[in-house]
Amino acid sequence: MSFVSIDRASYDVQPGQSIVDHIDWTIPAGEFHCLVGRSGCGKTTLLKLAAGLLQPTAGAIRIRGSAVREPSPEVGFVFQTPTLLDWQTALDNVLLPLSLARRPLPQDRRKAEELLDLVGLSGLEGRHPRALSGGQQSRVAIARALITEPALLLLDEPFAALDAITREELQDDLLRLCALRGTTVLFVTHDIAEAIYLADRVAVMENGRLHHALAVDLPRPRGRDARYSPRFTALCRALRRAMDGAPAEPVPLDAAS
Amino acid sequence: MTARIGSALLLVLLLAAWELYGRLSGIPSLVVPLPSAVLRTLWDGLTSGFLLPHLAMTSAEMTLGLAIGCAVGFLTGVLLAEVEGLRRLLYPYIIASQVVPKLALGPLFIVWFGFGMTSTVVITALICFFPLLENTMTGLGQVDPNKRELFRMLRATRLQTLLRLKIPAGLPVILAGVRVSVVLALVGAVVGEFIGGRTGLGASIIAAQGMMDSTMMFALFIVITALGMAFYQAVTAIERWLLRRHWTN
Ligand SMILES: Nc1ncnc2c1ncn2[C@@H]1O[C@H](COP(=O)(O)OP(=O)(O)O)[C@@H](O)[C@H]1O
Ligand SMILES: [Mg+2]
Repeated sequence: MSFVSIDRASYDVQPGQSIVDHIDWTIPAGEFHCLVGRSGCGKTTLLKLAAGLLQPTAGAIRIRGSAVREPSPEVGFVFQTPTLLDWQTALDNVLLPLSLARRPLPQDRRKAEELLDLVGLSGLEGRHPRALSGGQQSRVAIARALITEPALLLLDEPFAALDAITREELQDDLLRLCALRGTTVLFVTHDIAEAIYLADRVAVMENGRLHHALAVDLPRPRGRDARYSPRFTALCRALRRAMDGAPAEPVPLDAAS
Repeated sequence: MTARIGSALLLVLLLAAWELYGRLSGIPSLVVPLPSAVLRTLWDGLTSGFLLPHLAMTSAEMTLGLAIGCAVGFLTGVLLAEVEGLRRLLYPYIIASQVVPKLALGPLFIVWFGFGMTSTVVITALICFFPLLENTMTGLGQVDPNKRELFRMLRATRLQTLLRLKIPAGLPVILAGVRVSVVLALVGAVVGEFIGGRTGLGASIIAAQGMMDSTMMFALFIVITALGMAFYQAVTAIERWLLRRHWTN
């Protein structure tokens, strides 16, 4: 059952100049998909189309079968930068999606505190963003996207600015949180290892088109061992080849050697 | 700390040199009064209570003018920042009115509002209006596009976006406008009184000039400077308090 279906969607800035060019893609409910590609190939634009922040100039994007026309409360979005409100505490930032809809209740605060615990920020809920490190700010942004318990989470290179170790920690946290709720995820990145580690399926985008897809068959839950397994390395190599524009080819299971 | 002591010492040194030069050269006090005479006049004016009603009047005009000018400037700024059509319609006039020397309208306000406090308050408010208008429009206009997109994603209403994003995000710029207005408000109040005041520090300067009392004029300059600094410090303190969340630790 496909949860998100992108159906020949295009986005033209002017006639004849497509940033997103007839893209077909489906994400089954509960799956974690990554979208990789060089800078400027249209990843952010595709993600904004899926979020309803932009409207496709042709084709359609459907969530649970109905076309996306505007941002929906069922969809969470994590921007490339944490985009926190500097004048509010971490807790109030996490509560923002709720407090825009209604007055937050005591149980909402408890839920926000729990989420901050889950992303490893217990005790920092009273801090303002400027008093948090980059990694901590990204964690707040993820907690904020999750507080409404969205069925679909869209993330735009959320960890690109972080150091390798913080990034790995956040990847593990994200996988855990999404598995917990069965969240469907579309995650944009330009990091090959990140895509392989996170995804069930990776789509490769170039010049507004999807030109390759790769299924990732690493067992879950994935941990540090998975990152150094031969299978992981083989999949990274296959993805790299695909990004270089090599023709699609299956990755045999014994490709480790 | 040492820098402060240095600054204070420099002032004392300059005043001493001035006093010495005044006494030795015998320059008439109408041209340049002695610092000691100025301080004595200032002290007498304050202790006898002669200066107090003038100080109170100028402070009141400044406070009222600043409050009215800033409030109207802020609200107009919000309106123009939010309503694109209105902004396009009115912007040329706003630019044009920026360059009109507002103080030159003083005599006209006297015709409209009569001599006294109202004219001065109106001039002061008019002068304070523009920095607030300008800075509010700038502050609300330069909100991070990512944050705006976030609010769109969270389906915030236009009013929510204004109150919970644009105004808090633009607050530092808006408050910088208030700081500019404070300095202008003092000029507005004093010059307003030059033109149409009976009471007030500006009116007293004109009165002292009529009596060729340079010593009193210098004493009044000191009072006006102190008043301006007090207002500026107060506004800076309020600004720090309002922005405490913007730059914590
Ligand atoms: N409004 C726009 N007008 C013209 N070009 C745009 C506009 N928005 C994005 N682009 C261009 O579209 C391309 C894809 O942008 P984007 O989706 O941000 O790529 P990515 O996220 O993969 O780096 C870029 O080359 C960018 O310059
Ligand atoms: Mg991008």
